[in-house]
Amino acid sequence: MLGFRKSPWIIHYDASSCNGCDIEVLACLTPLYDVERLGVINTGNPKHADIFLVTGGVNPHSAAVVRNIYHQLPEPKVVVAVGICAASGGIFRECYNISGGVDTVIPVDVYVPGCAARPEAIIDGVVRGIQVLEQKQRAMKADANSIDRAVYARAEKCDVAEILALQKIAYQSEAELYGDDSLPAMHQTMAEIEEEFGRAVFMKAVVNGKIVGSIRGGADGATARFTRCIVHPYFQKRGIGRRLIDEIERVWPPEITRFEAVAGHKSKRRLYVYGQLGYQPFKTEPFLPNINWVILQKERK
Amino acid sequence: MNPFVRLLVYLVVAPLLGGLLAGVDRIVTARLQSRLGPPVWQPFYDVWKLWQKENVVVRRSQNYYIFFFLLFVIFTGALFFTGFDLLLVVFAFTLAGIFFVLAAYKASSPYSFVGAERELIQMMAYEPMVLLTAVGMYLATGSFYVHDIAGRTTSLIWTLPGVFLGFLFILVIKFRKSPFDLSLSHHAHQELVRGITTEFSGGPLALIEVAHWYENVLLLSWVYLFFTASPVLGVAAALAVFLFLILVDNTFARLKWQSALKSAWVVTLVLGFGNIVVLSFL
Repeated sequence: MLGFRKSPWIIHYDASSCNGCDIEVLACLTPLYDVERLGVINTGNPKHADIFLVTGGVNPHSAAVVRNIYHQLPEPKVVVAVGICAASGGIFRECYNISGGVDTVIPVDVYVPGCAARPEAIIDGVVRGIQVLEQKQRAMKADANSIDRAVYARAEKCDVAEILALQKIAYQSEAELYGDDSLPAMHQTMAEIEEEFGRAVFMKAVVNGKIVGSIRGGADGATARFTRCIVHPYFQKRGIGRRLIDEIERVWPPEITRFEAVAGHKSKRRLYVYGQLGYQPFKTEPFLPNINWVILQKERK
Repeated sequence: MNPFVRLLVYLVVAPLLGGLLAGVDRIVTARLQSRLGPPVWQPFYDVWKLWQKENVVVRRSQNYYIFFFLLFVIFTGALFFTGFDLLLVVFAFTLAGIFFVLAAYKASSPYSFVGAERELIQMMAYEPMVLLTAVGMYLATGSFYVHDIAGRTTSLIWTLPGVFLGFLFILVIKFRKSPFDLSLSHHAHQELVRGITTEFSGGPLALIEVAHWYENVLLLSWVYLFFTASPVLGVAAALAVFLFLILVDNTFARLKWQSALKSAWVVTLVLGFGNIVVLSFL
């Protein structure tokens, strides 16, 4: 606990601020306020930071960046919206190019009002952020071994960035298995997965606010085909994949009478889990030079 | 003292001392900038927090290299404090540095690549002087063994002043201080995002920090070898060198890698090699 209270590292991003709040954020580092006496370090790297300070309202250009930085912060993390523009959009709220405050893109924990927010207020906001950080860390610790609290639901459009990041972590072991770094799953882009989201159903498994598993499926006639059943390496072999398959089977209308699932020929674990759930392999298709797809099927009961 | 007892004391005390020195560094730096600065235990709070954070990786294997970096730094220190061959210490130390560079390459991000490349350039810059220091100590004492060098009752500084100054110069690089904090800086955190540690978070980042503590204690102990006439003098000299490095850090701006490499080699040639040539004529 002491660590988080004593050493909150910050990353600061200007979403579309007039620089007023940015100057005040930097003023906190000067000898007059010296936040380093509280252990605060202004890092330039989201992977080292605990607290994400955002200034300015969010526009379509900065939204992707805000989301990206947010997902790169390791858990537990806290978002502090600094200044009225970041809190609600401020005087730009009705502008055609502003989507509003930061909370229209990512969850915000602490709002610091002001135009510009005063350094004292920003320091207060960070101190409040530390309390949230400690709360989240406690929750994280409690959830670490209680997998029962995983929540399964259909993914929304805003989840795809996190699912894409998870996919690239989960497919590392596959890439090593086949000795091939060119797996399409490792190279999917944000635009491609957003396009895929438009035509497929995505399920997610959420633990402590973070997506740890996902599966997707698309319907073709009376058949639904499931692909990319992924679970974060830390959460594997705890039944999350099995439950995801179970959940995605239920979302289809009664017209769908048959399920298909796809797995690589060497992916023993995936094939085993599908087999346990009643899927039978019925054909193989060449996919990449060194990988064959095994297609499994199951009649809907 | 029994070498095994010394080893045990080193394993326990070195990280504590290293962390404390890092805390002193941050306070002195803050005071030089007329700030109050963090508490002296701040580095320990930081490491403890990092240890509890989520560990985000590009490739999981990058963390194994960090583990071996720490392991070999500790191994190097163990060789040094049990009184082994100084050449072995130099080579083990280089191996540890190479593992750190490999870890950054493994993470395949442009920032950590640039950091890794700069780290290699820094190694090219300081490595000749580190070797010459070991060679100079051998020429002056007739032994490569730390045990023999530390047991002398006269200070090496009188026979190796040039080597000492050259060693002091490359210590600025080894401590990652301005003007040579090219691959990773402790202060200007916006530089290259974070250079060689860009892609590390949570536990591995904490291990990197602890490895630096071990490293710093080892390097300051090497400074002690120049002042073996009395233990008090040796410790005082090591502390003075440490404060001098902080002063340099706060006085200079960062140099380009070309100037870092050139100046380090010129210093090595003139002060280090020159001193050894003079020594061989005496």
